[in-house]
Amino acid sequence: MSRKKVYNTAANIRAINAQHWSLSSFERWVFVSDSIYPQNQPLPQPQLQMQSQTQGQTQGLRYSRPAASLSDPVYTPEGNIKPEWDYLLSSLDNLGAKALNERSEKARRILRDDGVTYNIYDDQTTPKSRWELDLVPAIIGSEDWATIESGLLERAELFNLMLKDFYGQRTLLKQHALPPEALFGHGGFLRACDGIQLPGEHELILHSVDMIQRQDGSMCVTSDRTQAPSGAGYVLENRTVMSRVFPSLFRDSHVHRLASFFQRLRHKLISLSPSQNQARVVVLTPGAHNETYFEHSYISNYLGFPLVQSADLVVRNGFVWMKSLEGLGRVDVILRRIDDVFCDPVELRSDSQLGVPGLLDVVRSGRVVMANPLGSGVLENPILLKFLPQISKTLLGREPRLDSVNTYWCGDDADLKFVTANISNLIVKPIYRGALMKSVWGGDLSKTELDDLLAKIKHRPQQFVAQERIEKSHIPSFTTNGLEPRPSILRTFSVAADNSYIVMPGGLTRVGLSVGSQLISMQAGCPSKDTWVTATEPERVQEDSSPDTSQSEQEALLVSLPSRVVENLFWMGRYAERAEASLRILRTVFMLINGEQSISKASQKVLLRSITEITGTQPGFLAATDEELANPEEELLLIIKDGSRPGSIKSTLNSLLYSADESKELLSSDTIRVINDIGDALDNLDASLSEGLSSAPEEALDPLVIPLIALSGLMQESMVRSTGWRFMDMGRRVERAIQIMKTITTLTSPMVDKADNETILHAMLRSMEVLITYRRHSRARGGIELGLELVMLDTNNPRSLIFQFEHLQSHFAALKRGDMNIRELEEEDRVLLEAITSLKLSRIAHLVECTDGSRGKLALLLSQLNKLLSDFSNLVSDKYFDHRVDPQQLVSTFWGD
Amino acid sequence: MRYQVKHTTTYKYAARVTHCYNLANLAPRNTNRQKCISSQIIVTPQAIHSNIRTDYFGNQRYHFEIQTAHSELSITAQSEIEIQEQRPGLDLDFGITYGDVLNRLREGISEDVIMAREFCLDSPMVRASEALADYARPSFELSRSLYSSVSELTSRIFNDFTYTPGFTTIATPLSEVLSHKKGVCQDFAHLQVGCLRAMGIPAMYVSGYMETLPPPGQEKLVGADATHAWIAYFSPDEGWIEFDPTNDVRAEGQHIVTAFGRDYYDVTPLKGVIFGGGKSPILEVSVDVSRQD
Repeated sequence: MSRKKVYNTAANIRAINAQHWSLSSFERWVFVSDSIYPQNQPLPQPQLQMQSQTQGQTQGLRYSRPAASLSDPVYTPEGNIKPEWDYLLSSLDNLGAKALNERSEKARRILRDDGVTYNIYDDQTTPKSRWELDLVPAIIGSEDWATIESGLLERAELFNLMLKDFYGQRTLLKQHALPPEALFGHGGFLRACDGIQLPGEHELILHSVDMIQRQDGSMCVTSDRTQAPSGAGYVLENRTVMSRVFPSLFRDSHVHRLASFFQRLRHKLISLSPSQNQARVVVLTPGAHNETYFEHSYISNYLGFPLVQSADLVVRNGFVWMKSLEGLGRVDVILRRIDDVFCDPVELRSDSQLGVPGLLDVVRSGRVVMANPLGSGVLENPILLKFLPQISKTLLGREPRLDSVNTYWCGDDADLKFVTANISNLIVKPIYRGALMKSVWGGDLSKTELDDLLAKIKHRPQQFVAQERIEKSHIPSFTTNGLEPRPSILRTFSVAADNSYIVMPGGLTRVGLSVGSQLISMQAGCPSKDTWVTATEPERVQEDSSPDTSQSEQEALLVSLPSRVVENLFWMGRYAERAEASLRILRTVFMLINGEQSISKASQKVLLRSITEITGTQPGFLAATDEELANPEEELLLIIKDGSRPGSIKSTLNSLLYSADESKELLSSDTIRVINDIGDALDNLDASLSEGLSSAPEEALDPLVIPLIALSGLMQESMVRSTGWRFMDMGRRVERAIQIMKTITTLTSPMVDKADNETILHAMLRSMEVLITYRRHSRARGGIELGLELVMLDTNNPRSLIFQFEHLQSHFAALKRGDMNIRELEEEDRVLLEAITSLKLSRIAHLVECTDGSRGKLALLLSQLNKLLSDFSNLVSDKYFDHRVDPQQLVSTFWGD
Repeated sequence: MRYQVKHTTTYKYAARVTHCYNLANLAPRNTNRQKCISSQIIVTPQAIHSNIRTDYFGNQRYHFEIQTAHSELSITAQSEIEIQEQRPGLDLDFGITYGDVLNRLREGISEDVIMAREFCLDSPMVRASEALADYARPSFELSRSLYSSVSELTSRIFNDFTYTPGFTTIATPLSEVLSHKKGVCQDFAHLQVGCLRAMGIPAMYVSGYMETLPPPGQEKLVGADATHAWIAYFSPDEGWIEFDPTNDVRAEGQHIVTAFGRDYYDVTPLKGVIFGGGKSPILEVSVDVSRQD
């Protein structure tokens, strides 16, 4: 995936993206019961509209008792609000709808500024989806939580023992606790992972559960997540926002804290290291296109572990290494956010582009540990829910405390009979996610669809289960009608610690959009909630006494930046500069064409052509007819908003956003905010250009220009002068030098008419922002000589050519630390020295010489400099960036579902 | 009977391969009728890292990584195998009946029966279908001995299908093999495995070698032997029994097992990931099976 070619890399990036999209199989934010919910189905109407309307008119914000048919955890049967909800609801009532609206607005701003998304533009047209947070928290009282927590601890232990057994003795089969087909027929049972064992007591490191509160208040599990459970990072972000928006309410509610869960996770990951030395832990993400990428970078930052993609890792000599600027660094532990079957194309899915070839064999040898271990997807098999009581009796000697949803396995004759008879009242799902079909609610299907489904089931009965649908409990949620009941679902998180597990207090609550709604999914825009486990007494803040804290702080420093991140910073600098230069020339030309002084046709032609050259959108105006040149509006619009055209403003900015996402973990929160502004402006671009360019077109571009200027300011003023910053600035300097040379080449060509010469010279100076300087000087002298001197040789002008080369020189010198003794110049030094010297030795009088209508000496110098610059860029790229050739299969193999 | 097997695989690439990670199923395993006395794998260019392990199915898997740039890769497995005389006592008409086998499998009381049920299930390359069941059914009657049923099925495949190299690739679906009645040993083995599973009988794919004898009066050619494939089915009490549908024989003295699996996917002789290499490498395979008297 080399991107060393200087131009047109946007297309490359798209190609890279396209490769990955087709392969991502990650859990989406769709919960159990509801994956296929027909769009045309009328959503159940809120039953409490009358009451809510009257509430809306009052100042307060009351939560009335929901209809008796709904499962309600807030009111007692006698009609009183339960104590754990009382404080919250009366506080909200005092606050009132208006104030809550204002706080919601504030929360939305914080989430947006933090860049919280659940999915990223997966093509160039759809905008990012924001994370939705409903400010009314879900409340669980301490005592109720204690019951849930002990159930979850037991369940995590049970699943841990199952995992051990499935890839070990398989006694559960031999002792008839589970039919062999239930294990052997599941796509998540990876035979290649047989016998893998982790150090310590636990095989299962992370365990997540989706559950629903039933009418009687007890919890019922609908599914277990054991691959790479997502959501914990969103919980943390929700909590951060809540504590900022409701500081006193939060403080006075005595909410159990989340921090210790993450400390234990960190501690556990470090303790898994097989190495005697300090542990090097990385977080493995499929990349910025993944819908929960925000969380991957958030968690890696929070835990202080580098975020890597598969291409950042390589297997050599039986170990896993991370490619960094300093070379290869050994990796001991990988927290994976990639499904196990995608992790190694040698032994698992051979068509995976997300894997590290040879990884599984290193895992098997114990030289790297993965959490959760490869093969843990076998525990997501819903057939296990049916057999859990027997399994638990076999492994723990008792039935599990926490109930699971009633599950019927079509591989069992009696169950199949039941499912056939009751299919319209059941949720049917395949036992292996991603295979065969998504889950469906029988009640949504027509007669023919049901028959099709039954035929499908009968063809491969062992591959299907059916589950009961549990009525979800409804909790107060803030809607346009005030506080209304909404169906809710809770995802919990457990992590292995010492001899047992630690459960995160609360978890991620998600609510449906209307009363009785079955669909709770992020795609449908369903909001999340912070979950408060409240104590009557404030929680004692415990000092974290784990001995590794100080030690582990150092490890984060040990592992340096992955080469890919550095490369993306370099490209981020380049794209930012390219976008700026393109916008600047566009604005300059708009100003001149629409100015009160009309300009000649000849000048217009040169100016329009310069746009094509500088944006790199050839052929464009270079191939335009006279008529097109006289009416350039259509082409200008395309240059701005045609995202499919490399070089267009939109395409360049999309590439900028992509590079920023890939290096997100190194960007400050202010920078992320500005990047979000650029993303928003891009999303709104079509709307703001819908009128065409007829009136004040420069203004339509302002929403793009302003955040770009802010970005450039932040890059200069708010980034630590680290290696990362140097690469970003080198990218900017390289790109700016290219743009200066293009601008000089196109806007100094000699014109017949003297006034035209003046026009295009001014255009050049204006687009390079030195017109004012030029005017101050030009009282004494002026013309093209002064213009060229300013843009090429003035070392004080940050937009001069020599300024760029000198800065590249100082960046490169700073990168070569430790090599002070080397006398001979390195190739990069030579190239830059030659460029600077030839610039310094050039004579303006010679450069402006004009024979046969062109400035030959200027052109020659610029082409020399261009060559040197491109040499430098390639040398840096070869030396520091990763140029992995894409792997291919030795023989084509198959991966059945 | 003692055999020596030399199996060389050579890949010639169109472009340089800078790095590769490979996985070979070339070292013969032990079975209830054979013992691998010695086995050696030589890779050129030399592997920087390698290890051999026993996999899920009890096969010997050789992993290796090459860091030396190369445009030709060769792997030679040289092994010595002792094949035991077949134990007598299995009679065509008296063993356990097909109907009893189905019952025993369903009851699933003993461990070996429970574990064998894995091989009744669909696998990456073999999916039981109604068409396969229809083809197999005439040989299976509940009251007939399973051994005799499978033996007849083997003969029918041998008689109905034409050995036609080049007609199929490893990606040809079973339905096509069944309708054209053409293929090579892999296809016939997959077909029979599919038929047996469709009839509810656990069946494995077996990869290995078969000793071939030259026509009378001629010298045996070096490298003329080939890799071979056949099947094994499970019968409670009797264990795993191997049949070769390509030659219509019970696989015994002349059949040397490399690996057992659900199908070819589990026992692919050589697979892996290469960096570079260009398009369409040329593959050369040479196998020598010689009797050590």
